Amino acid sequence: MPKLDSKQNAVYWIDRNRIYIIFLGVFLVMSIFAPNFVGLRNFTNILRSMSLNATVAIGFTLVLIIHQLDLSVGSTLSLGAVFTIGFRLMFSELPPGMAWTLGVVIALAAGSLIGLINGLLVAKAKIHSFIVTLGMMIIVQGVIYMYTDVSLSATTPADFALSDFMRMPFLDSIRLLTPRILIAILSVVGMEVLLKRTRFGRNFYMVGGNRDTAWLAGLKADTYTILAFVFAGFFAALGGSMVAIEMSSSPVDLGVNSLLIVVAATIIGGTSMMGGKGSVFKTMIAVLMLETLFNGMNRFNVGTEFKIFASGMILAGVVLYEAYYIYKHEQLKGQRAELLKELEDGRKT
Amino acid sequence: MKKLFVLLLVLSIAGFAFAGGQQESAEPAAESGGSENLEWSKQVDVTKIKSRDGQPLLLEMEQKEIPERPEDPESLPETDPMHWYDMEYAGWSAEKVNIPESPADGARGKEVVVIINGDHPYLTAFGNGVQKVAGAYQMDATILSPNWDVAVQNQMLDEAIVDEPDMIVLVPLDAKVAVQQIRKVNQAGIPIIVSNMLPEDEGMKYCIAWTGPDDWGQFRMLAREWADEMKSNFEGEDIGVAYVQHAPGGSPYFARCWGPMSELSEYAPDIETLDYQAPGFEAEKTMQVVSDWITRFGDDLKGICAADDSAQAIGIQEALQKAGREDIVVVAAGNSKVGMDAVKAGDLHAITYQSAEADGAIAVKTAADWFNGEEIEPVRYLPKKVITAENVEEFMPAQW
Amino acid sequence: MPDDLNQQQPAQQNSPPGQGNAAAAPPVSRELKQSGLNLWINRFGVYVVAILFILVGIILFGGSFFNSKNFLNILDAVTLLGMAAVGVAFVTYSGHFADLSIPTTMALSGYIAIELIPLGMFMSIFTGLLVGVGVGLVNAFAVGKLRANPIIWTLAMAYVTKGVVRWVWLNKQIYPDIKAGIGNEHLADAFINLYRIRIFGSISITVIILIALVIAAQFLLKRTKFGQQLKVTGSSYDVARLSGIKASRVVGTAFLISSLTAALTGIFITSLGKVGAYYNGEGYDFNAVTAVVIGGMTLNGGRGDIIGVLGGVFVIGLMRNIMTLMGIDTFSQTVVQGIVFITVVYINARSLRKLGRDDA
Repeated sequence: MPKLDSKQNAVYWIDRNRIYIIFLGVFLVMSIFAPNFVGLRNFTNILRSMSLNATVAIGFTLVLIIHQLDLSVGSTLSLGAVFTIGFRLMFSELPPGMAWTLGVVIALAAGSLIGLINGLLVAKAKIHSFIVTLGMMIIVQGVIYMYTDVSLSATTPADFALSDFMRMPFLDSIRLLTPRILIAILSVVGMEVLLKRTRFGRNFYMVGGNRDTAWLAGLKADTYTILAFVFAGFFAALGGSMVAIEMSSSPVDLGVNSLLIVVAATIIGGTSMMGGKGSVFKTMIAVLMLETLFNGMNRFNVGTEFKIFASGMILAGVVLYEAYYIYKHEQLKGQRAELLKELEDGRKT
Repeated sequence: MKKLFVLLLVLSIAGFAFAGGQQESAEPAAESGGSENLEWSKQVDVTKIKSRDGQPLLLEMEQKEIPERPEDPESLPETDPMHWYDMEYAGWSAEKVNIPESPADGARGKEVVVIINGDHPYLTAFGNGVQKVAGAYQMDATILSPNWDVAVQNQMLDEAIVDEPDMIVLVPLDAKVAVQQIRKVNQAGIPIIVSNMLPEDEGMKYCIAWTGPDDWGQFRMLAREWADEMKSNFEGEDIGVAYVQHAPGGSPYFARCWGPMSELSEYAPDIETLDYQAPGFEAEKTMQVVSDWITRFGDDLKGICAADDSAQAIGIQEALQKAGREDIVVVAAGNSKVGMDAVKAGDLHAITYQSAEADGAIAVKTAADWFNGEEIEPVRYLPKKVITAENVEEFMPAQW
Repeated sequence: MPDDLNQQQPAQQNSPPGQGNAAAAPPVSRELKQSGLNLWINRFGVYVVAILFILVGIILFGGSFFNSKNFLNILDAVTLLGMAAVGVAFVTYSGHFADLSIPTTMALSGYIAIELIPLGMFMSIFTGLLVGVGVGLVNAFAVGKLRANPIIWTLAMAYVTKGVVRWVWLNKQIYPDIKAGIGNEHLADAFINLYRIRIFGSISITVIILIALVIAAQFLLKRTKFGQQLKVTGSSYDVARLSGIKASRVVGTAFLISSLTAALTGIFITSLGKVGAYYNGEGYDFNAVTAVVIGGMTLNGGRGDIIGVLGGVFVIGLMRNIMTLMGIDTFSQTVVQGIVFITVVYINARSLRKLGRDDA
């Protein structure tokens, strides 16, 4: 293996950390040009808008890491929100704290159950995950409407108190983090540590990167596949559930636009569609980058169409860049760079 | 290197956005100066402004009789108008909480942030109405659209709260979520007017006023027109009707199906409801649903009521034509260009008149009244009208 | 590494690693399972499902269900979906899952077609279709040449075109009669009537076009060199490339066809709705894939045919028809549709596996 020269080193460094660079770029540009952008309260807003999709993207990233796809996360997060409020209302004779806990637990259980069904159908019945989760997306949306065709809300003073607690920054000295933001960030960091620092977590990468090798190494690939889907369902429901608490209400179509943002962020964050590569933390930074961009754009009062266009261009740029990189790499496959160089040097002399 | 490609892309996009923003924010807000401003803005006359269809932008407000609230509306059957009391009469009886005091120093130069619910031709016209009135009062109105996403709408409200405008106008996406949204703005001490979509009754406590169309009232009116037409067309026959619903979530889902249904249960109890379905706003799917209805109910089906007068109405019309059942009386919520053309051509019997521009205008007019220190009633309705072939010309050209 | 995801890997990714070894074993066990039911399911696939539904319909509703008028209604309601699905089928057949950019292609071609009505019907439709070619070429370059991931790329494309459409037309709707202008009413009428032409009194022109499309596509897929190449490419991209097929061009063509049919569908949707709007065509992306896959094409590529896709589209219409006749509400209908979708694909995949025709 020839030693990389400093230029190549720099290139690899940039490539590895590209999401941080993009984020910083967006952030700087917005700080300089966008009116009213810099300010703790606005940064809290950006983090707040990041929380939902960052939480949902944890599971989606994990599913991509094991080389599958989960289209049902959007519906699952709606279900999480609707069930949280629905069951909180169902148990309204109980003390509010108890009712809320039950609501959240049931919502998370329902999300995990959806993930489990997805996982079983993919791993055991061997149906392609694109199909399973596409079907599940439709089914879950239908189930939500069957459960309630009207959005739900909890409006007692205790509910409002809880909602205010979730929404307001809880440290007076640094007015940046709210409990919901903290939950999202902790989930992401927790998952990142689990995936990168424990054997259990690293096994996901192995299964996703090369299933046969993983099998030879004695890993139960099916179990990891199922687990990844369960995580995806769980985190989608968690994201929805937390939003529902903050709003103390839940619309029936909360997750309609989430899937697109989550897919875009995951890919921009460097997770590979080929499995075995990716980081939930980088995905979160990518969500943060997109939200910063949107927030800044709102300050210029540009329309939705421009935001859609911009996020599309960024996603397209990243996909094209990666494809081009691999395309170049493919062309060189079987050619040994150092020999080529020697040949060239030989010609010169 | 090539890696910088992405970065460059972002920068160029941001640059674009910046250039766009520069154009927008060029105009400095006029100075608001005490009593002189108040006198000036009290004299502004907005009654002369016309909307695109030639109707006056701000008509007399609709008066509505408010009946006594029944003990437990939910326990009544769905076909009883009183079952829907809390939705139909939301806001009239709410006790206001923590409403900011009016500065009473005139409307000129005031900053108003209008957060609508998404991008739609109706809301584009709504925005025109907002700007017309804001222009007359020399107010500075910014319109933001969350593209039908509740989470994004919440973010926009949070951002607006940080910017501390003089007034926020909100078009809710969801009646229940709106409660928290309105409360949030109220807590921040910013006055808020809610427009177009009714929030849950609880939310009415925290806003200055609600303005918009009386969807329930409109549909009760439409239902009577519809019943009369069916009765005169099919004298002595059994009449059955079906409803194509709005997408679930908001108040139109209820008002445009159970509104006419419960009205008919009193006005024409012998008319039977056969079915209701929510195929969304796709002409193709609506067409299939209606074809299936014709197969299923045959000659019993005499009328269809749709929640939308463009895609849904076209789907219905295609299905009826194919089956040779143009005798079926179709009514719909209006009033898009497609719907008006259909009324003119006789494909639709009647649609409701809901002026999009007036909808936006009345919200901003109410804001101006509040800045002028006037008394504001809790609910302001747009006038109710039904458009049929006889009067359709008065409302042309359509606003959207 | 670059092409795994799209091509050969999906075939393996769902299989337990043990199967690789089983394949090496003598194929005795396979021979045994090459029996009745599986073969039958595999050969007739979606038509078994269709006949089952028709039987259910006849048992429940008898004559009011089983007559030509009802069947024409069903077909009528899914023709637009069918047109789009025929194009997407080529993408799926080439082993590239789906084309998620078709809804915005539809909206864009509709807008362009209306804008150009004053230049005459031919120019209007021709340019509308040209839009499809344009989007298709971009997709062909990115996915075919550079091997970008098809799902993500077409999603990004959908974003970009949607942004452009909404930006250029400022979220407004445009109307044929206004765009045509005074004195050109006949052109606007011609455009609006495009969808409404009926032949023999009751058969819609879209049905005729759909059938023509299906026949042409079936011929293209099964009887031409391109079809053969597409089959090889869909089955294994690397094998295709090593055997001298210009795989990138073949895949690119598949995307081009998909965008072209999407543009055609878009023009008809616009004609039906009498209005150009940015939300025209929404939902057709996933609905089309659903139809294609129910119709017996596998996501691994190289399997199934267009006649099956027509069957898939018909089954979707049939299902909605029966459920509305039964008085099932819209939301329960979607749940049933989702379950049927997964089940049909499962049965199909299972029979393929048992027959040893697929290693998934």
